[in-house]
Amino acid sequence: MTIDPGTARELVDACAAAIVLLGVGLAATRSIGRAIWLVAIQSSLTGVAALGVGLATGAGHLLIGGILAIGVKGFVVPLVLGSILRRSALRRERHPLLGPRVSLVAAVAIVFVASAAANGAVLGASVAASRALPAAIAQVLTGLLIVMTRRKALSLVVGLLVFENGIALTAFSLTYGMPLVVELGVLFDVLIAVVVAWVYARRMLDVLGTTSTDRLRSLRG
Amino acid sequence: MIEALVIVIVGAPTAAGLGAWLADRRLATGLAFAGLAASIAAGVLLAGIVFTRGPVRAWDGLVVVDALGAYLLVLVLVVALIALAGSPTHLAHEGRVGNFLAHDSGQYYALLSWFVAGLAAVPLLDNLGLVWVAIEATTIVSALLVGFVRTPQAIEAAWKYLILGSIGIGFALLGTLLLYASSIGVLGETSDALAWTRLTEIAPRLDPGLARLAFLFALAGYGTKAGLVPFHTWLPDAHSQAPSPISALLSGAALAVALYALARFHLVTVAALGPAFSSTLLVVFGLLSLAVALPFIVAQGDVKRLLAYSSIEHLGLATLALGFGGHLALLGLSLHLISHGLAKATIFLAAGRLVAERGSRRIGRLAGSLARSPADGQAFVVAALVLAGLPPSSVFVAEIAILFGGVQAGWGPAAAAAAVILALTVAGLLFHVVRMSVGPPAPSGSAGPSGPPAPLGERRSPTAARALLLAVPLSIVVIAGLWTPSPLADALEQVTVVLGGGRG
Repeated sequence: MTIDPGTARELVDACAAAIVLLGVGLAATRSIGRAIWLVAIQSSLTGVAALGVGLATGAGHLLIGGILAIGVKGFVVPLVLGSILRRSALRRERHPLLGPRVSLVAAVAIVFVASAAANGAVLGASVAASRALPAAIAQVLTGLLIVMTRRKALSLVVGLLVFENGIALTAFSLTYGMPLVVELGVLFDVLIAVVVAWVYARRMLDVLGTTSTDRLRSLRG
Repeated sequence: MIEALVIVIVGAPTAAGLGAWLADRRLATGLAFAGLAASIAAGVLLAGIVFTRGPVRAWDGLVVVDALGAYLLVLVLVVALIALAGSPTHLAHEGRVGNFLAHDSGQYYALLSWFVAGLAAVPLLDNLGLVWVAIEATTIVSALLVGFVRTPQAIEAAWKYLILGSIGIGFALLGTLLLYASSIGVLGETSDALAWTRLTEIAPRLDPGLARLAFLFALAGYGTKAGLVPFHTWLPDAHSQAPSPISALLSGAALAVALYALARFHLVTVAALGPAFSSTLLVVFGLLSLAVALPFIVAQGDVKRLLAYSSIEHLGLATLALGFGGHLALLGLSLHLISHGLAKATIFLAAGRLVAERGSRRIGRLAGSLARSPADGQAFVVAALVLAGLPPSSVFVAEIAILFGGVQAGWGPAAAAAAVILALTVAGLLFHVVRMSVGPPAPSGSAGPSGPPAPLGERRSPTAARALLLAVPLSIVVIAGLWTPSPLADALEQVTVVLGGGRG
């Protein structure tokens, strides 16, 4: 099965637009359950974009990478995160460092900065950068924003996943992805990182009785 | 032949780990030792081949080992041996104070074996993407080890390490990606577009803008893993909260592995852009790490955090040496990394034992350690003097070589600043060593939160074995400061050539 390049380009553009909107939503929401589903959809769309280009260009490694990304980041990882959430009593970010409205503004600002940066100096000149690049940079920055301003362990993992989606999308828009063996390694690392985060979130519940990282403030100096 | 050696080096600890996960304590210990022993045998053989006959390749260039790779491989395996040999005593203690359940031993040895396998894989791979995958895998496995003892502080340290480490190393992936983007512009989408051997060859034709950006991201990413200021905030927590043998492995080997990845990026960047850009950045971040570590060393109250900040200081110095370039500074660097690895691994084991016996990490409460536990106390003092850079030791020789090399290479002011900081660090370290080693033991009535002291004689590891474990690495470092056997000197010379951008 193949699709023509024009359709693939439209598909990638649509995915990129949806990924940006989901990123803004992720930065603004305070419900952790919703954040998990949003990031699952965002990860799946990253995989769908890779699939689309893979079908258009016949690049086998994009097809395999895309399908595995959808499977791992779209399904397995959210299920793991959901299972921690069900054990945890707090399911919302109670006191993030930035409130939802400020986060929303910051996330939108990030989108503009990312577009400006992607069109700017270094990258545009040398590489056939696709239009997904601004979306990719925006997700890297949105992921950082979430990690820096949230306090619940699960929210930090969600931020990490958004950051990782940004990197995956960058890979894809700059170079049509890394070599397959590297892509597989990266996916494997993401998967075990989430499993380890799951282990520690459970231990936090056991030892500290909460997954709020506010309690993790004893190490200094 | 080479293929078989590589399979044993990485495969033996991996398989031993799988077995240890399921086994009981005794069997798990044995498996971990057997796996590492096989890995060391194959690793030493491989290094011997590389140092006598030159770089080797396997699997169509997936694996390439040059002198620098062989050197790092030996460093990782030796430090791993020290850490593993110190583990049974440490686990016995943690089990006694109840931080740790006996059936967790299998998991501990499994994770330790996998950690070593990941570290040992890095210097073998000729693909910067797979180097990233291996380093990130070691981050995740070691995060489980850092929080192995289920205290709130250990969980906090492990959590910070996992999140900050993953974010940090995410930047290294971006750097790798940008380098790949510039590389396929020259090579096309070939399988060796991320091979550092190929990248160095084609470097003059890489897009300079992308190469510059790639190095910046790699510096932030691998700089995080190597504990460079300002990306170091996770390090004192992780290295101080981890079980002491794991601290030994993290400080002695994992930091050097991260610096190795950064050095490969640096070599490609130098070949692409000339030395000015990346060397200057390395010198700046190296000096910054030295300067920021100093006050934390001087004012430190926790012995394991003291050692962690000492690691930041030493990696800062190593980064500085890499930035200086020039034959003398790089020779100093190659001597420095292995000397630091040996001394730091030993001192973490000794400190771990002192802390365990005292039930406290506070330097003030550890006073009189020489009298109370002579073997570990003496090892601690000697290793601390070595790490402070006092003669005679190979750390001293390395530091002198790096500083003079810096002056030779035209970095006079930076070398002078580093010399001043190092001198002040010596004073800070000596102050703590004196407080800990001599003086009356603090009243032992409160054995601290970790429970009653061990019944004498009952659970002590065989004293001779313990003394040997601590004395051998320290003796090597001290003697190497006075006399370098010619095969060792020849090996270091080859490493220096690779670090200087030549083919080893």
